[in-house]
Amino acid sequence: MTNPPDERGAELRELFFETSQELLQALNEETLKLEKNPGDEEIVRSIRRTVHTLKGDSAACGLRELSELAHQFEDALSLEGTAAHAALAEIAFAAADVFGAIIAAYQGRTGLPSTEALRQRISELTTAPPIPHARRKKKPAQSTPDSGKDWTPAEKQAIAEAQAAGAPLYEVVVKIDPHCTMPIAARQMIQHAISALGQVLVVRPDTKSPSASKQVEFVFASENGKEEIAVKCHIPTISGDVSINPIQTAPLQASIAGGEMIASPTIGGQHSAAPAANPVSASSPGTPAAPQPPSNETPPAPASETAPAHVAAENILRVEAGRIDNVLNLVGELIIGKSMLQQALNELAGRYPKEPLRGKFADAMAFQSRVLNDLQRSVMKIRMVPVEQLFRRFPRIVRDVARQCGREVDLELFGQETDLDKGILDIIAEPLTHLVRNAVSHGIETAEERRAKGKAPRGKIRLNAYHQGNQVLVEVSDDGRGIDVQMIRNRAIELGMVTAEEAAHFTEAETLNLIFRPGFSTAKQITEVSGRGVGMDVVQSVLQRMKATIHTETHLGRGTTFRLKLPLTLAIIKALMFWVEQRLYAIPLNAVSQIARGFESEVHQVDNYEVLQLRNQVLPLLRLGSPLAAHIDRKSQKLFVLVITVGERKYGLIVDALEGEEELVIKALDDQTFSTDLVNGASILGDGKVVLILNLPAVVEHISHARPEAVGRANYGLLLNAADRARLALGAAGGRA
Amino acid sequence: MNRELHIVGFQVGRETYGVPITSLHEIVRVPEITAVPDAPDYLEGVINLRGKIVSVMDLRKRFGDKKAAITKTNRILVVEHSAKLAGLIVDSASEVLKIAAENVEPPPAAFQEGGLNCVTGLGKVDGRLIVLLDMTKLLAPASLKQQNGKAENKNDKAEARAAAGR
Repeated sequence: MTNPPDERGAELRELFFETSQELLQALNEETLKLEKNPGDEEIVRSIRRTVHTLKGDSAACGLRELSELAHQFEDALSLEGTAAHAALAEIAFAAADVFGAIIAAYQGRTGLPSTEALRQRISELTTAPPIPHARRKKKPAQSTPDSGKDWTPAEKQAIAEAQAAGAPLYEVVVKIDPHCTMPIAARQMIQHAISALGQVLVVRPDTKSPSASKQVEFVFASENGKEEIAVKCHIPTISGDVSINPIQTAPLQASIAGGEMIASPTIGGQHSAAPAANPVSASSPGTPAAPQPPSNETPPAPASETAPAHVAAENILRVEAGRIDNVLNLVGELIIGKSMLQQALNELAGRYPKEPLRGKFADAMAFQSRVLNDLQRSVMKIRMVPVEQLFRRFPRIVRDVARQCGREVDLELFGQETDLDKGILDIIAEPLTHLVRNAVSHGIETAEERRAKGKAPRGKIRLNAYHQGNQVLVEVSDDGRGIDVQMIRNRAIELGMVTAEEAAHFTEAETLNLIFRPGFSTAKQITEVSGRGVGMDVVQSVLQRMKATIHTETHLGRGTTFRLKLPLTLAIIKALMFWVEQRLYAIPLNAVSQIARGFESEVHQVDNYEVLQLRNQVLPLLRLGSPLAAHIDRKSQKLFVLVITVGERKYGLIVDALEGEEELVIKALDDQTFSTDLVNGASILGDGKVVLILNLPAVVEHISHARPEAVGRANYGLLLNAADRARLALGAAGGRA
Repeated sequence: MNRELHIVGFQVGRETYGVPITSLHEIVRVPEITAVPDAPDYLEGVINLRGKIVSVMDLRKRFGDKKAAITKTNRILVVEHSAKLAGLIVDSASEVLKIAAENVEPPPAAFQEGGLNCVTGLGKVDGRLIVLLDMTKLLAPASLKQQNGKAENKNDKAEARAAAGR
């Protein structure tokens, strides 16, 4: 009772916002199932339970609009014949969207969205007469257990099952703190807490009953002792007295047979397995499909489905991402500290080569760096989440887009267990969504077109994720019409993005890359170039920012695959460091395919670009520093060339000198202040120096966009700053004078 | 109601400027600065402040003195704005000033546009005029992008005016 009530309310709301996302996701998933199995009452019940929870939670947090709406929807769902209503799935989707919008509005403290349309649709549900050929009129599940000690048959059955399983039963009565402002939420929290220890079989009284705000009673099966349950139930400021009594129940079983099945919302719907016929059961594997008299034969599903979930819940910590980032930052500092030590040790070795203590230092350092590596890896692992978190939203998106553009599409998900850094996952969410939407709306043909081409009428979209070396690959593929490369080429020429001669030299991959150029996508081309290109430049730029690449593979008439290559982590890279104009820079080591030395005399001019012939390949060159001063003898000047691979092509970077390779902890530059895209981070070296990490795709972009005006003039000076340029200009003027 | 503003005063050129003491993080000597390509000239680059990367702006260049060079007496004012650190190169920083709220005048309307919209007011202390700066506007990207010839001219004029007002 130390917190003022409103603060406690805020806490509850936070909790609610978190859990509500899961509820909405569940609602979406269940509705998708329903759409596949229309009329399945089992699914409708499970939707209703989700909506019910949403209603209860939101009411507890005082979010009145949401709880009212959910209440209305729940009521509609529990009406007879609703399950058979043809538009139910449609309305459930709409409801999920509106609920989501309302929650977002609460969170952002903005105005609530209009709910009128949804309310109308819901009332359609309630007013529409049950469809005559509805398969079977079964009394829909109703939750009307009164607060007496008489258990409903379903509850009795649950108790009997638990007894049969051998778990000791307890009657747990928890008084709700009279000062608690939100007794219903308190109830939920207590139930949550207790269900971590075992299985809650019965909850009394019903939320609607007046005594609900005073105490809550559970019949609870648990292997744990009384004390442990008592500890779990005791939540400061929420629960008051707790009394726990073991139940020595006797012959409950006898009274079960023949009881009417009524589902209690707190016990999984599986208990109420439809007694006579449950026509569609494909989506709920635990439900017996054949007609089956209600008996005390324990359906195995409920126990096995709920128990692991509870175990898992107890072992999972919800931690704010910021805290983990903090730890990761500290590890980064430690790594910097390690290289400082290493440097000091090297100096010491240089000064006192015979000092015997050196060996001890070296051993200690080796040990420390080993532990440090493990620590780093462990922290990184914490940040890793399965891509499933991202993939699970796509079934709904694909369904919606397919519906909008009149396509028939199946979505297949693979590699959902692949782990990816949470930060990266968040960043790719948007581009990936874009690619998937595009694949549905433009990749997949209409059913007629597909039939005409001899394909299956339903299109297929595949999302796949897997590890490859130090990278994670995420693929979006469709079996649609593919991209017409020739068409893109023509279009690019038409738009003046490339000249016809340039285009003629382009490989297929290069041509495909044109679709990622800004300006390539305008409304008009959508139909002409099978639409690929709507906002593709956005996809590209998002990916570039995090050193990811995208690769397009297409077969005309057979489909397209977009392959995203993502770094495992955004925090640490192996980098190659080099000098340009007395400044140190770094690039990711995995982009460097070769380090070559050459002479200025080997540099040739082609079409005003400078190129270097290296064995049998011709490399476009990029001078990062100043151009070669005119008065220096070209022939004898030596060059350092870093051969880098960006996308499909190789380029040569001319640098002044090499420094070496090192593991760098990437720190962000203040991107509010620096708008440059050439640099995507900085790192601190052992001696405290700051090194900038170059963003290679952007660097290369500068070459291809720069129109060479004068021979050898275009591709230099990318890394010069204003002062350098001033100095160079002076030098040039002086040279002329 | 004797509200007082606590201001850190610092010199840039001949003028004394001030920022609220609450936004000041620390004052450091100028360490080695790593230049960032493609940045406007008054953005000197980034420094390593005990393991943190902090971007540094030369206020002298920001306020029009394009040829300012860094000497040993220069200092970097590390300020905090929207939970981020930024460094400001100044000629010297020494005093903490208390200015009564009634001695602060709003900036002339001419300051509202161009590169000087970061001035929140003019404070008078013992007959001196302190130009009070707003960190958010000073460091906001919009005001950075405006940085061009015209804005500089305005700066000079405004500064002259500020000097004349003394």
